[in-house]
Amino acid sequence: GRQWQELPPGKRKKGERGSGFTSEQIEHLHRRFRQLSRDQLTIRKENFDSIPDLEFNPIRAKIVHAFFDKRNLRQESSGLADEINFEDFLTIMSYFRPIEMNMDEEQLDRFRKEKLKFLFHMYDSDHDGKITLQEYRNVVEELLSGNPHLEKESARSIADGAMMEAASICGPDQVYEGITFEDFLKMWQGIDIETKMHVRFLNMETIAHCY
Amino acid sequence: MHPPAGPAASPGPAAPPAGAELLRWQWQEVQVPCLVAAWILVASLAKIVFHLSRKVTSIVPESCLLILLGLGLGGIVLAVAKKAKYQLEPNMFFLFLLPPIVLDSGYFMPSRLFFDNIGAILTYAVVGTLWNSFTTGTALWGLHQAGLMDPGVEAGLMDFLLFGSLISAVDPVAVLAVFEEVHVNETLFIIVFGESLLNDAVTVVLYKVFNSFVELGPAHIHATDYVKGVASFFLVSLGGTAVGLLFAFLLALITRFTKRVRIIEPLFVFLLAYVAYLAAEMVSLSAILAVTFCGICCKKYVEANISQKSRTTVKYTMKTLASSSETIIFMFLGMSAVDTSKWAWDTALVLGTLLFILLFRAVGVVLQTYVLNRFRLIPLDRIDQVVMSYGGLRGAVAFALVILLDRDKVKAKDYFVATTIVVVFFTVIVQGLTIKPLVTWLKVKRSDHHKPTLNEELHEHAFDHILAAVEDIVGHHGYHYWRDKWEQFDKRYLSQLLMRKSAYRLRDEIWDVYYKLNIRDAISFVDQGGHVLSAAKLALPSMPSRTSMSESSVTNLLRESGSGACLDLQVIDTVRSRRDKEDAAMHHVLRGSLYKPRRRYKASYSRHFISPDKQERQDKEIFRQNMKRRLETFKSTKHNICSSKSKARMKEKGRKKKDISLTSDAPNGRTHRSVPWQEAAPVLVMVSSEEEESDSSETEREDDEGIVFIARATDEVLQGKATPGRHRHSRTQQGSCLASSSFLHLQSKADLGCAKPVVCAKVSGVWLGELLFSVALEAQQSLLGGSCTPGLAAKALVWWQSLLAGLRERAGAMQYPPLSFLLCPQAAWMSAPAPASSRHRPPWQRRSCRGKETRLTWLFTSPRRPPKSCQWICRKRGTKASPPWRASPPHRASRRDRSTGDSPAPCWRSSPSRRARRCRSRSPASSSPATSLRAAGR
Repeated sequence: GRQWQELPPGKRKKGERGSGFTSEQIEHLHRRFRQLSRDQLTIRKENFDSIPDLEFNPIRAKIVHAFFDKRNLRQESSGLADEINFEDFLTIMSYFRPIEMNMDEEQLDRFRKEKLKFLFHMYDSDHDGKITLQEYRNVVEELLSGNPHLEKESARSIADGAMMEAASICGPDQVYEGITFEDFLKMWQGIDIETKMHVRFLNMETIAHCY
Repeated sequence: MHPPAGPAASPGPAAPPAGAELLRWQWQEVQVPCLVAAWILVASLAKIVFHLSRKVTSIVPESCLLILLGLGLGGIVLAVAKKAKYQLEPNMFFLFLLPPIVLDSGYFMPSRLFFDNIGAILTYAVVGTLWNSFTTGTALWGLHQAGLMDPGVEAGLMDFLLFGSLISAVDPVAVLAVFEEVHVNETLFIIVFGESLLNDAVTVVLYKVFNSFVELGPAHIHATDYVKGVASFFLVSLGGTAVGLLFAFLLALITRFTKRVRIIEPLFVFLLAYVAYLAAEMVSLSAILAVTFCGICCKKYVEANISQKSRTTVKYTMKTLASSSETIIFMFLGMSAVDTSKWAWDTALVLGTLLFILLFRAVGVVLQTYVLNRFRLIPLDRIDQVVMSYGGLRGAVAFALVILLDRDKVKAKDYFVATTIVVVFFTVIVQGLTIKPLVTWLKVKRSDHHKPTLNEELHEHAFDHILAAVEDIVGHHGYHYWRDKWEQFDKRYLSQLLMRKSAYRLRDEIWDVYYKLNIRDAISFVDQGGHVLSAAKLALPSMPSRTSMSESSVTNLLRESGSGACLDLQVIDTVRSRRDKEDAAMHHVLRGSLYKPRRRYKASYSRHFISPDKQERQDKEIFRQNMKRRLETFKSTKHNICSSKSKARMKEKGRKKKDISLTSDAPNGRTHRSVPWQEAAPVLVMVSSEEEESDSSETEREDDEGIVFIARATDEVLQGKATPGRHRHSRTQQGSCLASSSFLHLQSKADLGCAKPVVCAKVSGVWLGELLFSVALEAQQSLLGGSCTPGLAAKALVWWQSLLAGLRERAGAMQYPPLSFLLCPQAAWMSAPAPASSRHRPPWQRRSCRGKETRLTWLFTSPRRPPKSCQWICRKRGTKASPPWRASPPHRASRRDRSTGDSPAPCWRSSPSRRARRCRSRSPASSSPATSLRAAGR
């Protein structure tokens, strides 16, 4: 349609290659992007406020944050971007691609790691490569914020318990300052996240010509 | 003369009194319940017998064995009674045997998994079953038309479709029985199992529709009948589901108000579910669907409302009922098969049916999966498809349905019965036997049974929210969107309506997991503690089993002592003050020594005699303390543990704390202390013995939950010392702080379980001077005398301790010998520095390595009978002493020793002096009065 023409073909190709989306999916996403950004080229944080359904999400701030996290945007630097363009939007969305039938072990592993990295970055809000106790507590508090009857203390103790657990999983040979990404991977060992980080919408079309 | 009136003398007006009847044979009146009970008993006993051999049950599924048993029993009955009795009656099956199984599977259905895969399940259940029945029926009809069947099989297309409809449905009972032993991954299991439950509606409808068609005869079927058939499908399935939901709602609502009548809470669950089943059956809706959805939907609210005990009751009752129903079903299936009067064999029909159900099931699965995989996030691969096709077992539902057929209307009923029996037996026995090897051979992803972790729960919740958010952002209303919406609705309205206020407030899944983990930890802590006590495992650093034990204990300890501020895993091993270690080691000695007399009271301390209430309260208390401690730890500053305790604890343990603070600013006499305590590890070896372990490990574990923790903590310290290579890590100040805090916490925890050992432990931290010598002796005497109860001993110790505390303040910088010398001279001697190389190992260690633990504690526990090892030590050391148990008790000896230095010293006497000598040579500046005294005594 009209919007599609506004997306330069070069960009479109690049988007397809980088994110593994079909052109239809990209088209759909672009339409949505324009809708969110009110026909601007970039999205800012405020734009996400306009989504009504997001309002009740307890960790909404963290999720929106993740969209602007430069680490997720596959940029070298860390920190927060002020605004993201459509390409960045696609990059973020590509974290939620479902697995494909023809993926081999190595690809699957990489795929899994990428998804976990996204989650990890969401937890690690100060970008130091470690989920410290304080960061973890914040996340848990937010997760539990949906229930007004649970006190903050309980959120804290849950976070502490979880941290303790993480520390015990990841081996006793260190002074435990926080969960590193390696530890994070270890924690997820044996748990298949394949069901847990996909959005079906992005799988509506066969991905025949994406690579 | 009138006979005396009485119940025994009046047999009833009808019977002419041929003399007073003592007993009456009333078989007719009890026959039915008696037979039922007898059969249940037989089946249950058979189960026990099957499980006697692990080998058999690991290869052959229980259902196969039960069918075979049924065949055997049926043969016996046939031979004895000359006719087949005790068949599987359809009425009995549908009204009594099936509901418990379906309720159990619905109630304990992993609902999240079920609804995540609901699309696939419904497809297989509806489309798959339709496909199976139509293709099988038509193909059999084709076979019949081709003239391959016996002409005796009088059946038209409708008859074959009817047969196809009943034979094609996958049976929940059979699937559950086989798949529970196979352990395939959850997704695969839920798809096959969910299908077997939900296909009931299709089966019921098809069966009824075709049955009526057969009755009407092909000539009278109108087009409207087909439409009615389709409509009745929706009516039956949706109606059944609606009935289930309605009763789930009622059930949840009722359990909201059962607070005062806790004892009948579980009953409501069973009653309402059963009523749901009957109600659906009454209006010929799908009863299985009704119960399944009733179970799935009510669980969340019911579990939140009812008490913990009711939860357990519900769980076990449900499992018991389901399991016995299943047993009886399979056994009666076997017994029903011997009734040859029902049989009419036709090879072509039997073989054709077997072939077609396998073939069409496979084809159907492949076709449906092909379509489904286009929509599924995780595609089902070929291996999954193979297992799904092969796992389509037929069972008792098919059999009951075929028995229900009317022989007048369905002429070929006997043929169908025989075929059904063969098919059921084939699928349950052959497929049931081979599915396990097949799953292994195909390397099907198995389910991993890991314990739920807090992290997992947290991350999963995070994922859910992220996915819902992404769908929101993308503007796509997908599965996650609706799930999220449903959860919000549930939280806002349903839960509030159906849950108790108290339950609703604390209702949070993360919190639940946390709570459960905490309780589990506390309990496992208590349990493991028993091992530390009674097993010699932990004693020797060189023992291989130690590693794993300590790891788990470190983890638990850490969790228990949970400080958020410091997550150093080495906290347990950090260098603590010498006093701490001394306390710890001393504690061990005292623990081993002073604890024993309590065993006389083991009955009253055993868990079996504690009312469950107490147990529960204890759990709660542990949990509460645990939580409190965690909170306190955060509040406390790093180095000032004692001062930041809450007031309640201050009150409870004020005395103890005083003691701690006293010891913490003790006079700096450590450099002169004669015993290098970090080398005290062997002490641990001594306090355990094989016989203790064998006869009292159980009770000890139960009794002694408290003290154990301390034992563990100190054990870590000692082990850490003994094997420096294992712990290379630097120890932080933080760590040491936490370690000591954990030590304290553990102690405080200890007195939840029992106060006395704690008292002992605290005593160990106190120095004793000459001034207190007599006090010590008295206390010891009372301990050794055997006449005093543990309670008395504890009182004595408390008194002693308070005395010490008072004296300590005055005594100031005086140097005291450690209490250990007085209380347990051997311990001190045993703990003398052991040479590093194993060649020079002290005898007790060598002895322990050979697996026989020396027993040091006899002195305090069983004065009459010394352990062999002690004799052995005496021999080795060449002392010509009279056996120690015959010599005067140690306190007397030491007294004598003070006065007459050259009296023959029994082995325990020689030990401290040796120790003292050695230590003196190490620290010549030592001026401990006791030490010099002992040295002189030598």
